[in-house]
Amino acid sequence: MNKRSFFVLFLSLVFTGINAQKLMTRNGYIKFFSHAPLEDIKAENNQVSSVIDLSNGTFAFVVPIKGFQFEKALMQEHFNENYLESGAYPNGTFKGNIEEYTKIDMDKDGTYKLKMSGVMRIHGVEKKIVEVVEFTVNGGKLNLFSVFNIKPSDYEIKIPASKQDNIADTLEVTVRMSYAAKK
Amino acid sequence: MLQKNNRLLKGLSLGLFLFLGFMASGQDDLLAELEADSKPKTSYAFATFKGTRVVNLQSPELPAKGVLQYMILHRFGTFRTNYFYNFLGLHNAQVRLTVDYGITDWLNVGIGQSSFQKMYDGFVKYRLCRQSSGEVNMPVSIVGYSSMFYTAQRTPENRPLNTAQRLSFVNELVIARKFSQNFSAELVPTLVHQNTVDSAAYSNSVFCLGLGARYKITKMHALSVEYVYQINPTKQFFDGTALQDYNNALSVGFDIETGGHVFQLFLTNSRGVSDPLVFTETPGNWLDGDIHFGFNISRVFTIVRPKLPRE
Repeated sequence: MNKRSFFVLFLSLVFTGINAQKLMTRNGYIKFFSHAPLEDIKAENNQVSSVIDLSNGTFAFVVPIKGFQFEKALMQEHFNENYLESGAYPNGTFKGNIEEYTKIDMDKDGTYKLKMSGVMRIHGVEKKIVEVVEFTVNGGKLNLFSVFNIKPSDYEIKIPASKQDNIADTLEVTVRMSYAAKK
Repeated sequence: MLQKNNRLLKGLSLGLFLFLGFMASGQDDLLAELEADSKPKTSYAFATFKGTRVVNLQSPELPAKGVLQYMILHRFGTFRTNYFYNFLGLHNAQVRLTVDYGITDWLNVGIGQSSFQKMYDGFVKYRLCRQSSGEVNMPVSIVGYSSMFYTAQRTPENRPLNTAQRLSFVNELVIARKFSQNFSAELVPTLVHQNTVDSAAYSNSVFCLGLGARYKITKMHALSVEYVYQINPTKQFFDGTALQDYNNALSVGFDIETGGHVFQLFLTNSRGVSDPLVFTETPGNWLDGDIHFGFNISRVFTIVRPKLPRE
């Protein structure tokens, strides 16, 4: 076997190895909660898709903005039409890296609090963020849980003065995902 | 030996280069993969208009399932005569109140009453199709509106009216398109049928073609315009003597959206406030100064909350 074909073989082995380590979900859950003097608002979405590549610690998720459901239909319409402008920016996305991803051992149950850094893109605006994410391995399955804050103003989402008692400056975001091997 | 090592090094660096290249593009690939994967199969247009009406014409909007809508509609007196004497037309106001409810996202039912001729009415509004793109490509939204009005006003004893004679009907077919985030327009074939008309020579059914549009100037404000062309207008006694066709109704408005309210302020030559009168019994003409100020205010209440996704 000459060396070139050896490398081709080696690379293809590496790629299959990488592919085998990709975990995915299409029905991840995300919620945001706003606490303001006049009202509390929450919206929930279970259409989040996400991929984790355990071979290199890369991670991404996509949140379809129209998938957020509110208790009031008109609020949902305003969220899409006036604030997130989901016609122009249909998805919120995140891509980043899990630090110390090698700690995650899929072969035994355990919980890992790991730092994740990357770029969040909402409303067409990108922002670098660093958050702590909790990974749980349970019976060979990987779950993700995280609670963090985001500011609409960071993503150029303007809240008119008349709505400042209805919508908080900082929203609490909860993310939960259960991954399965990518087909 | 040196040659061999060089080759090995070359090969290794090529492999490493490819591998690193893959690593670097890995993140973008993940995201691109996901974005391609998570595109909604069909994306529906929403918020084509702010309110359920443009001015007098229906818009393609319906209150969502479980939402109750309350509307107050006012039309004031003309600018033409005694405008200040009648306090900006306020002393000649016509009032209409309606309540409607979203049984499903595509079916809305309501009742209303209007002060002029003491009219009571019931109506249904139903969505036939939604503008969408993606897997299902639909260029327009189509919404039907059917209403029945009963005129309770007492008539002179020598001219009694039975129940059937007091009824009139309005049917609208709203064909609307949201062209961009800001601009939407609609075409509304309309049929107004009145069981009783002033003369046997007049047609009971008047066919109209409505045209409505809105342009958003800010997220909360929009300009609107509406014109309803009558294909076979009935006649009126103009200044009490000469017979002439009723005018077509032209309205120009300004919409303000707050949280749960939509305020629509407009100028129109249409005098009536109830559906059978607004399109086919417009005596006034913009050029003669027969302009009326009017407003529609809507308020929505969520009666039945939708089920939210589970965590």
